[in-house]
Amino acid sequence: MTALEISGLSKDYVDAYTGEEITAIGDVSFTVDRGEFVSILGPSGCGKTTVLNIIAGFVKQTGGTVKVGGRVVDGPGPDRGVVFQSHALFPWKTVLGNAAFGLRMKRVPPKQREATAREYLELVGLAGFEHKYPHELSGGMQQRLGVARVLANEPDVMLMDEPFASIDAQTRRKLQEDLTRVFELRRPTVFFVTHDIDEAVFLSDRVIVLSTRPSIVREIVTVDLPRPRTWRETTQLPEFRHLSNRITELLTGGAEDVHPAIDPD
Amino acid sequence: MAVTTRASARPKRTVAMPRRILVNPVVRTLGPFVPVVLLWWLLAELDVFPGAFFVGPDTVVGEFAELMRKGVLPGYLSDSLTRLMYGVGFGLLIGLPLGFAIAMSFWARRLTWPLLLFFQAIADIAWLPIVIVWFGFSLTAVTFVIVYTIVFPLVLGIVAGVEQVPRELIRAARSLGAGRLRVFLEVIVPGALPSLASGIRTGLGYGWRALVAAEIIVGTSGVGFMMFDARRVGDVAEVFLGMIVLGVLWYATDALVLAPFERATVERWGLVRQAEAGK
Ligand SMILES: Nc1ncnc2c1ncn2[C@@H]1O[C@H](COP(=O)(O)OP(=O)(O)OP(=O)(O)O)[C@@H](O)[C@H]1O
Ligand SMILES: [Mg+2]
Repeated sequence: MTALEISGLSKDYVDAYTGEEITAIGDVSFTVDRGEFVSILGPSGCGKTTVLNIIAGFVKQTGGTVKVGGRVVDGPGPDRGVVFQSHALFPWKTVLGNAAFGLRMKRVPPKQREATAREYLELVGLAGFEHKYPHELSGGMQQRLGVARVLANEPDVMLMDEPFASIDAQTRRKLQEDLTRVFELRRPTVFFVTHDIDEAVFLSDRVIVLSTRPSIVREIVTVDLPRPRTWRETTQLPEFRHLSNRITELLTGGAEDVHPAIDPD
Repeated sequence: MAVTTRASARPKRTVAMPRRILVNPVVRTLGPFVPVVLLWWLLAELDVFPGAFFVGPDTVVGEFAELMRKGVLPGYLSDSLTRLMYGVGFGLLIGLPLGFAIAMSFWARRLTWPLLLFFQAIADIAWLPIVIVWFGFSLTAVTFVIVYTIVFPLVLGIVAGVEQVPRELIRAARSLGAGRLRVFLEVIVPGALPSLASGIRTGLGYGWRALVAAEIIVGTSGVGFMMFDARRVGDVAEVFLGMIVLGVLWYATDALVLAPFERATVERWGLVRQAEAGK
């Protein structure tokens, strides 16, 4: 079943100073099935964040439609939870208060929402931190909370924009493994923006590769690696390196595209 | 081995001692005043200035006891504080909704900003002549001036605070299902609080000064009146006492109201770097 359906998406920005119009997204279409993990990769500035922001309802598209669960979306809503690169946790709420925020907005009774929030905090490894404030957590733990806060709300799709980009490499590996574990356990639908090829391959069922601006879908690569995945085992699979090389090629223009460009004539 | 332990333990202790003393709240609060009072006392004892212009701490303490006994000081103090309460109360009542209304609407901000800047420029005291014409020498006149001085820093603080709320927090709340009212109550108000708190702090400080000034001019009672009246009869000790009372009251307001409020909110949430964070 399709959870997310993007068709013919385009976006023109008007530069605030020059008044010049730039087409960020040319024509992008794809779907994400329920319980599927799909990443989007592309050169810097090709419009990955823009695609996510349009899906989230933060930014209005110029053309095309976004459907979630079959309904056309307009504006932000609880059916699309967002995990931000900057975490965007509420500093004035405790860990528990942050995790239960969405449920409170849905008017879930206090007992029940606390139970659910605790369950998801435990799932992401934050049990015992319920009464801390976000600033008392490390960056990695803050992002775990960012994930728990969205999952506790049980959205149709979880949107993540480079959620681990500001976290040190060591912790990032751990967070990626934990995200995979959570995904394999709960099977949420995830749409994941990244510029890290290995990360995309490791986490995803499919990887959407965008072209440079104005972006179109260059290719959608299916990642058929066995689950559960761990960095140690998954990276040893020849298929992993193969997929990663394939995507690198696509991003750098691919061998067949590059040669004519270098040709002096 | 033993030598190294000794050597490393030594400087540690010399650092620890003064630090322990500095951490003591009484020492930290009163400590800085000790040299000031000593200098004051020394200046008085050495008769650097004639007695009609300058009195020592002992004389002022005597004056304090006298005025407390006669009930003059408590009476004036409660008059001043009552006025301040009215002023602050109405100031908050007007300033908070006005501030958020202006901050939340682009057009309200556009339209009121020139007015805000214009009226902010008219010093509080500059209103006194016309206010006295309108309301006479009354509580209303004094309240008006205090409200005036509090509202502007408060409104400006709120507008700045609302602007500082990260856009991502609002977006996060919206995609967790918060409607406009919820976003306002749960994100914008607490997010604006650091700036709002400093607006209140500034406003209260201005209001307190405006009160004393108003009492001097409008005065029939109050600490400001007491000081000015004492000057008229040449009672320097009472003038000194009034000045000290003003300082102590502001310190108390800060220690009992403002600082605990900030500790319970802004600092608790990690929105300002606590003084201790650096150590
Ligand atoms: N608010 C805006 N106003 C004008 N132009 C914008 C705006 N937001 C993005 N753009 C432009 O649109 C293009 C796509 O931006 P976007 O942030 O979506 O790219 P991205 O793929 O996420 O890049 P990165 O990999 O660096 O995160 C860029 O050229 C950017 O300059
Ligand atoms: Mg981006």
